[in-house]
Amino acid sequence: MDTGKSYAIAIKDIKEVFSSISIYGPMLAVPLFFAIVLPVLTFYVTIYAAPAIASRISTLATVPAALHGAGAATFMAYFSVNILGPIFLTMPILTAAVIAADSFAGEKERKTAESLLATPVSASELLLGKILASFIPTVILTLVVFAIYGSITEYLSIITFHLHILPTLPWLMMILTAPFLAIVTIGIIVLVSAHVRGIKEAQQVSTLLILPILIMPFASILGLADLTVGFFAYTILLLSLVSIVLFYIGVKTFRKESML
Amino acid sequence: MHAIEARGVWKLFGKTEALRGITLSIDSGMNIILGPNGAGKSTLLRCIDGLHRVDHGSIRVNGLDPYTNEGVHEGLSLLTDNYALYDHLTVIDNLRFFGRLYGMPDSDIRIKSKSLLKEVGALEYSDKKVAVLSRGTKQKVAFCRAVLNEPKMILLDEPTAFLDVEASESIRRHLMEKEREGAVVIFVTQKVDEVTRFNANIFIMRNGRIAANVNSAELYRKILKGSIIGIRLARPISASAINNMEGLEYVNSNRATYIRVRIDSPSGVNKALKELMARGALIAGVDYTEPLIEKISFG
Repeated sequence: MDTGKSYAIAIKDIKEVFSSISIYGPMLAVPLFFAIVLPVLTFYVTIYAAPAIASRISTLATVPAALHGAGAATFMAYFSVNILGPIFLTMPILTAAVIAADSFAGEKERKTAESLLATPVSASELLLGKILASFIPTVILTLVVFAIYGSITEYLSIITFHLHILPTLPWLMMILTAPFLAIVTIGIIVLVSAHVRGIKEAQQVSTLLILPILIMPFASILGLADLTVGFFAYTILLLSLVSIVLFYIGVKTFRKESML
Repeated sequence: MHAIEARGVWKLFGKTEALRGITLSIDSGMNIILGPNGAGKSTLLRCIDGLHRVDHGSIRVNGLDPYTNEGVHEGLSLLTDNYALYDHLTVIDNLRFFGRLYGMPDSDIRIKSKSLLKEVGALEYSDKKVAVLSRGTKQKVAFCRAVLNEPKMILLDEPTAFLDVEASESIRRHLMEKEREGAVVIFVTQKVDEVTRFNANIFIMRNGRIAANVNSAELYRKILKGSIIGIRLARPISASAINNMEGLEYVNSNRATYIRVRIDSPSGVNKALKELMARGALIAGVDYTEPLIEKISFG
């Protein structure tokens, strides 16, 4: 496999995505907006409503011990990692969905696949190129988003409670999970894109991938899942295996004609 | 081993039989697939390039199946009729991308791109995004992309369809030069006029089949049998001086500057011109009404 060809495909796709503000504008704006607004909102809720909320939900048997009798600082620490974290974990999915769907289904929709497939590029080189094209911007954007939301949370915590909330080890493991989540998302979208007619269909299917992630905060609140280091380690292992399987299936099931 | 060989090739799209038992072999030179719309020309070209898997029969390029061997594409290039360029990238970025996929160093891509763009008259658009180019310019750029890697086999689908005369000529010149250098050129067209500009091996396609395989001389014999040629005169000649000329169909004026003559064979052109010159005419040019390929009999 000539990775130079995959790299050329990735660079071309990234250039295409970032040459059109209609594609990259919303893709950048939404995560950056949430990265700034959600921590500030959390801080506001913490200061003005946390004690009341905390006392109310601490009566539930399933609430983790960390929150029992929590003051504002503990509430903010819990909320920032266990609730906001999983929400920000949907960012790699949303970003990857936009780029990956455009990347593969876009070639089909714009009828550029013919010239691409007429070059000496193997299925594995093509798939790797397409995955990289989505993976690189997604990971960069996700890290930036986590850095912004982490920095704001930490800043507000220091100036208000004189406490360091972030980074915690589970929070860092959550960041480490993001690239693996992105790669699985991209793998699924690439597979889907090869078999649908256009970008919109590919994106619609890919939005379903967000659902399992959105379960995380609720599972955490209800005590069904602890977002611990171990939890994220197992998640990373599982996502790694799934991404290898998806790449293998992608290469094996790739049919040129499905892209034309 | 033939450079390109098709044996009993069938290609179906649902219930539509696009190719119906195509058998042909190509070894070298200029080869043209001529046929009306829907004859299966473009599908055949895509099958030769390996974009489509054939349903029955086989296609081999240098002995290899082009659908399963991407290595075939190292020396094979395809220009499709939709240009297949990336609209959001500049002309030079498009060429750089494809050059890299062919393993060319960036320095070679830059030099070769510049030379090709200049040759087809599109150098000034190097840094323009493809989206803003006219259809003709896109076609020029797509041609540059197709020959950028100096392929040994070039497949082209209507390469001059939307080009001006000058650009069309430069592309024809380029293809003839490649042919002289030993490349195999195959292009498809529905224009008889385009075919007659080359000394080529011609495959006539109809309804998904090869109806005939002829050379340029044989095609001319078919075209010019019973056809009408137009003759332009550099100075007016009195209509009365030519009104008893054999095969005369039309005179544009009493002081004629354009006439039409029916001829029965290629030698009829010479005969008509000689007769006109004998009557004092000064010939400015000759053309013929392009016959529809559907109307030419190859039975």
